[in-house]
Amino acid sequence: MATASSVSTRHVVSRIAAALLGGYVFTWGFIALSLAGLYGLGMRFHDAEALANIIGFLLYLVVFLWAFGAGRLNRVWLVLVGGGLLMAGTGALIQSLLV
Amino acid sequence: MFQNFRLSMAWLHTWFGLVLGFVLMAVFFFGALSVFDREIDRWAIPESRFEPQPMPSFDKMLRPIFEAMKPTKADIEDASAYIKAPMPERFDTVNYWGAYTTHRDPVLGIYAGYAVPAAKDPDDAVWTDSTIDPRTGAALPDDQLKIGSRFFYPLHYSLNFHWMDLGYWIVGISSLVMLAALVSGVVMHRKIFREMFTFRPQKTTQRSSLDLHNLTGVVALPFHFFFAFTGLVIFAGLYFPVSHTQMMPLHEQHEQSEAQETGLPHERAGVAAPLGSVDAMVAEAQRRWAARGMAGEVGALGLRFPGDANGYVSIYRSGTDRIALTGEGIHFKASTGEVLREEPPSTTVESVNEFLTGLHLQHFRHWMLRWLYVLGGLAGCVCIATGFIFFVEKRKRQYAKQNSQMGRVADALAITTVTGMLLSTLGILIANRLIPVSVPEGWPGRGDLEKYAFWGTWVLAMLHAFVRSGPVARAQLNPAWREQCFALAFLAPVTVLLNWMTTGDHLVKTLGQGYWPVAGVDLSILVLGTLALVAGLHLRRKERGLDSVPAHLETEVTSG
Amino acid sequence: MANLLLAVAAITCICGLAWLALAMDVHWKQIRKDNPSATTVRTLRWLGSLSLFTSLVLCLIVDHASMASLVWVMLLAGSALTVAFTFTWRPRLFAFLIVWSRVAG
Repeated sequence: MATASSVSTRHVVSRIAAALLGGYVFTWGFIALSLAGLYGLGMRFHDAEALANIIGFLLYLVVFLWAFGAGRLNRVWLVLVGGGLLMAGTGALIQSLLV
Repeated sequence: MFQNFRLSMAWLHTWFGLVLGFVLMAVFFFGALSVFDREIDRWAIPESRFEPQPMPSFDKMLRPIFEAMKPTKADIEDASAYIKAPMPERFDTVNYWGAYTTHRDPVLGIYAGYAVPAAKDPDDAVWTDSTIDPRTGAALPDDQLKIGSRFFYPLHYSLNFHWMDLGYWIVGISSLVMLAALVSGVVMHRKIFREMFTFRPQKTTQRSSLDLHNLTGVVALPFHFFFAFTGLVIFAGLYFPVSHTQMMPLHEQHEQSEAQETGLPHERAGVAAPLGSVDAMVAEAQRRWAARGMAGEVGALGLRFPGDANGYVSIYRSGTDRIALTGEGIHFKASTGEVLREEPPSTTVESVNEFLTGLHLQHFRHWMLRWLYVLGGLAGCVCIATGFIFFVEKRKRQYAKQNSQMGRVADALAITTVTGMLLSTLGILIANRLIPVSVPEGWPGRGDLEKYAFWGTWVLAMLHAFVRSGPVARAQLNPAWREQCFALAFLAPVTVLLNWMTTGDHLVKTLGQGYWPVAGVDLSILVLGTLALVAGLHLRRKERGLDSVPAHLETEVTSG
Repeated sequence: MANLLLAVAAITCICGLAWLALAMDVHWKQIRKDNPSATTVRTLRWLGSLSLFTSLVLCLIVDHASMASLVWVMLLAGSALTVAFTFTWRPRLFAFLIVWSRVAG
């Protein structure tokens, strides 16, 4: 049976949080960036929203699995939260240019 | 945390599968029942046991009914929960009248939204709804719970747990975990092609449950994946409300340019205007659909701002002949019947989205595909249930040696979500037949009593499972499995008998008439009872040691 | 007519998957004592694939493409379960599918 090599409960909780919450932040950022970006490029609003959502959920699945498969937990947190915030920020920037 | 990727996926699959599996059992089972939700409604509301009807004449039948509608006290209370403004004395200003039907509905659902002038958001409204018999216009009593479409169906996507929308979030997380469990399961399953058709019930419980778990997981893999995925996409607005929060300015900008583009008024004019002939508009809509090679029936009709100069009527086509949830909406000026807008064909992205959501929401007319959907859903339930059984079988000896209660708790919860859930399903149907039509004064409504019966039965089943769980701590079988199977085997025919006794509809009659909604539910209940009996007898033989593989011959089976 | 075509689609789907299963030694041996020859295995795979393709075509005749593809994918699932349970309890029911292959001397 798959046993984790002896790790603290804190590590396990942190990994689960990274997958769920970090993954959520990452996906939010992706959706915000895609929505603003695609709309800015001329796609209809609801089309951009739908496409962002569809790919977003698939991406959430991928990063969720990665969070468990990846080696260093700190890197997982950095990529997911950092990446998510970066994408959300870029999306906000695009919005400010369009509105 | 793990030496390699496969081990990390195995850990994820085991522990997340176990914990969220309890929720997913309910989602898959009630989702499977929801395929025939309207047929279950027919069983639960005998007055509606007649053939599906087309949308009736608006001018002759629906208009007077709509004009007489008003919100009930309960409706006003529901709206007050989120509209923080004083409610008007009379609800004379109508924002919306809507009517909706499908090819499976004998009765028609109608609803209306009334303006709250003091509200900050002009779109906020008090909503009320009603169910009417489209042959006569008579309304069905308010407290008749549509057990299929208003209980089992919402249960599968919200657990009927609406406080802070928590139920939706729990189902959402479970769906994401389902997708992860499917991928991790494939990663773990080394002999996926070789064992594609393998099921060996004669081997140990551990081996045969793993065989069945793999079989039901793999053969319906596209189904399981697509349903979990499309379920998430359908509620994307709730899970990732980006366009109503961070991207609200962009959304507003779009709404304004869209209103200009479509020519459909966003607000009322404040000037009264008579309502033209909606029947004539329906006829025109049908003519236009036929001209596009898409002849069809009206699926939904909506009137925005009826009685106002800006009022418009939207007519949507019933999408029974394809997967995509299309509407082919046509909008008419309410006062004159002039066509304001015919919705253009869908863009590529819209088509993809409509296909994905339509695949899940199933408005199509195709009985074989519906039954295959039920099969897929039940296969999902078997996959999860055998997952629990495998988990417990594999570890119970080890837990017993360590004096841990884990095995016992996991097993009792498994019983609760497998046989317990089935018992609560019969429980609500039995309550539905036993509760009198008019409930005594001061008692909760019929619908509420039925819901208590459902949850109450489930809680009792859980208590029973825990109370009987002692043997699992000694690495043996919990007798509650057998006992609940026998309870199901007994209650199933009782449920069907109660239908006969209280409505006069028995199988010979319903099969003879070809009234499939009721015959189908009765037959399914009897199949459930038969399977439960077979399972119970098998478990009894096993407990008596007649079927078991001697303990020293049971070998450890590793996963994958 | 549509129902008849769908019924045939279901049958060809079941037979198709059964042929593919019989191409695996473990299932072949549930009916015959010997091992299937390389030619037999190739033939079984062709029969299976052709049968599954026929099933798809029948589905496409009955329904709109988007509906037909879903029907076929779901038929595959139902048929796979049927084939698996048949191999579990009544494997000899599939004997007629390999009647054409000579029994080794």
